[in-house]
Amino acid sequence: MTNDFKARFDAVTLRAFGELLRGERAAINYQAELSSYTRFNGGRVRQSGTVEQADLGIKLWNGAKTYQVQLALSGDGTVDDELVAEAIGQARALMRLLPDDPYQAVPEAAGSSDARYSGALVPEGEIPARVLGPATGMDFTGLYSQGLICRAAANSAGARHWFQTETFLVDYSAWLPNGRAVKSSYAGRDWSDADYAARLESTRRSLQNLGGTEKVLSPGKYRAFITADALNEVVTFFSWNGFGERGLRQGESAYIAMREGREAMSPKFSLSQDFSLGVQPAFNDDGELAPERLVVVSKGRLENTIVSSRTARQYGIAANGAGDDEELRSVAIEAGDLPEADALAALGTGVYVSNFHYLNWSDVQSARVTGMTRFACLWVEDGKIIGPIKDMRWDESLYNMLGAKLEAVTRERHLLVESMTYERRQVGGSLLPGILVDGLSFTL
Amino acid sequence: MRNDLRRLLDAASAAAAEASWVGLRRRRTSAACYSARDGAFDQAIGGIDDGVMVEVLFDGRFAYAATPDLSTASVARAAVSALACAKAAAGRGVHHFDLSVRPATKLAWETQRTRKSPVAPDGVFSFLIDACGALKASDEVIQTSSLVEAGRYDYEIVSTNGADIEQSIHYLGTSLQAVARRGDVVQLRTANGPRGLTRQGGWELLDVETLLADARRTGQEAVELLGAPTCPSDRRTLVLTPDQMMLQIHESVGHPLELDRILGDERNYAGSSFVKLSDFGSLQYGSKLMNISFDPTIAGELASYGADETGNLAVKQLIIEKGVLVRGLGSLESQARSGVPGVANERATSWNRPPMDRMANLNLEPGSSSIEDIVGSIEKGILMRTNRSWSIDDYRNKFQFGCEYGTLIENGKLTKTVRDPNYRGVSSTFWRNLSAVGDAGTFAAFGTPNCGKGEPNQVIFVGHASPVCAFDDVEVFGGGK
Repeated sequence: MTNDFKARFDAVTLRAFGELLRGERAAINYQAELSSYTRFNGGRVRQSGTVEQADLGIKLWNGAKTYQVQLALSGDGTVDDELVAEAIGQARALMRLLPDDPYQAVPEAAGSSDARYSGALVPEGEIPARVLGPATGMDFTGLYSQGLICRAAANSAGARHWFQTETFLVDYSAWLPNGRAVKSSYAGRDWSDADYAARLESTRRSLQNLGGTEKVLSPGKYRAFITADALNEVVTFFSWNGFGERGLRQGESAYIAMREGREAMSPKFSLSQDFSLGVQPAFNDDGELAPERLVVVSKGRLENTIVSSRTARQYGIAANGAGDDEELRSVAIEAGDLPEADALAALGTGVYVSNFHYLNWSDVQSARVTGMTRFACLWVEDGKIIGPIKDMRWDESLYNMLGAKLEAVTRERHLLVESMTYERRQVGGSLLPGILVDGLSFTL
Repeated sequence: MRNDLRRLLDAASAAAAEASWVGLRRRRTSAACYSARDGAFDQAIGGIDDGVMVEVLFDGRFAYAATPDLSTASVARAAVSALACAKAAAGRGVHHFDLSVRPATKLAWETQRTRKSPVAPDGVFSFLIDACGALKASDEVIQTSSLVEAGRYDYEIVSTNGADIEQSIHYLGTSLQAVARRGDVVQLRTANGPRGLTRQGGWELLDVETLLADARRTGQEAVELLGAPTCPSDRRTLVLTPDQMMLQIHESVGHPLELDRILGDERNYAGSSFVKLSDFGSLQYGSKLMNISFDPTIAGELASYGADETGNLAVKQLIIEKGVLVRGLGSLESQARSGVPGVANERATSWNRPPMDRMANLNLEPGSSSIEDIVGSIEKGILMRTNRSWSIDDYRNKFQFGCEYGTLIENGKLTKTVRDPNYRGVSSTFWRNLSAVGDAGTFAAFGTPNCGKGEPNQVIFVGHASPVCAFDDVEVFGGGK
């Protein structure tokens, strides 16, 4: 496989659209990458390797029938031509056996875009030394990933969108013998040894807070400063049973009470989908573009929902470029007026939450979420760090955490890039502040 | 096909001549998924994935390169890339491995199937639409959805020390869901949880009559929950059915016993474990009623296979015997690193991810109590069915789980239905309070097809079978803001 993914995408798109018969229409989405992965444990290499992959999705419409096919492309033009043609032929035969699709939404968007971001990455042969060298003496654990990522979409109406970026990410934690750890990351397009070393130095300083005896908290309500890193774990809950229109209409959303005016979040809380963050493309798999910015929650009130063309067709409303899953992408939470430097003072006595872990809905219809504290969570008294806490379970409605109990939002925000690598390296990220919450419910 | 793979192995071996060992692991996946919503077409998706991972051993370190291009030139390039990765880690490996962790196994294995020919899409949709009708128990059901997914994974493994493995895994899963609403109360009920009814087998698993009966019960119970009070908040005896036990076993027994977690590999992502290497052979993990087996040999359970993806032959092993921890969920690599006895569980999600320690089928062996005996012996308790929420700390100790449907137990009798039942506890304490284990008549197997772990991330099929079980003195509570 060559790394000329754009040429390969153009070729398979040409082949796929060229195969269509009269009355057939299609949308094509494409994800490709060249990735290097090095996994570390205890400052040593656990596993390392490279992955080349390219996947093509074809959504095919004919009359009232709809069918989708996902294909792994080989990178060999001749092989892939045959693969695409055969898949379309099989889809055509199979579609005849499907019921009509009552909410078929064939894209009519015909725009185009081409965004390419190159990077200066570490030569593959130098990755272990360049990542581990500055971490000497640390119990360093995590994953280094780097390489080219491509996303593209096209449709029969003429849309053609291309996005590619070369990025790296060191997603790591550094551990003390007592089992406490600091979690951090270093991400970007242009690797800098100096910037990376500075990040590790910051980690070393943070570790100094964790050497003391753990404070064991009793279940109860505590003031808590939730950092942007921790709040990033909550962002999932804006998509999962989240602000998608379909879930709101069909009973699966946690925000039905908000939609119906029975609940609200704090006037201090505003939430948007904002593609100006530049971390992922605004087009969806059908080649439809979302607006650059869509306000979802404005000063605690639901302003807009995430609407796919399929949902729009079903309910006779306007779509806003969402994918079929109606997930919130490129999330931005509006900044507040609390200077981050004053966060501990504003917290006074309570818990500084560096990270959350393994969140899940505990009661969807109450928007109640449970999760754990993790990594460098600290007990603070009168604005001074006392030491680490023993990890606690919490269980709280987001209508409280982001509503009545939300006391302040920081002035500064942090861009947290997507670190997930299920199936492929994901693109995306969130721009988030820290928040101060009065009375977070710790339960176990 | 394996002749092609041997030819590719020759090319890879020649390209990475300095490697002391080269292995190729090909995986081809084909899958289909059909779904209906509110009695109408929702989605029809098919897919094919194919690729190969070249793995090399050089100076005691493994490294890999994965490619979907199965040409000789591409695989040779991958071998060169893998060798370069292994060299780049010189002096920095976690362990000096040798070929004892890559046995020269020869094996052909395939899922047992009664009906091999697939049901045509129109037949599948006929069932899906009927299922939506069965789920629609009343006008208070505001959404019905049904889904069938089916597919096969074909693995081929060859290596320079003679491994020659071919395995075909076939599966089929059904998901049934009803959402009901009355005023401000919304309740969701599924048949055994999202994707819980996923098993290995052929199209005989699409047992329409049984599934439609499940759908009717699911819809009726969604409506029943609308009028039920919320679960009380107190401490009582908790009885769990197998479609919740699968989650309880998965999160609080399976993950903490994975040796790679205990060795620290997962500390940055999925987490570590409260279990220490020194605990194996002595830790009283649960009560004496607790017998946990690792068993990839059970026909029909979701994570059955003949050998793991390093070629280690799969056999049934007791992990916890009479409550005592005797063996870890660790592959040959983890066993070499830890010195703890393990199992054949080094598996990968696909050709583009390296294998690591996984659960496969992890089951709780049946006991001797009937469900009547269990309920009849409880003065104050609650029976919970079907997982809907799961959360546990990174050491796999403090957990909170939620279920879809609860029934109070009062003076030895099942009495009132309650909604939004949750419970929380600490793994080691919880399992030591295991007070009754159901007999074979209460035993059932379910699938967990979405177990996530690893860096880079991987999701994989896992199976869990269990009887009904009772646990004393558990904190339970309901929903609400």
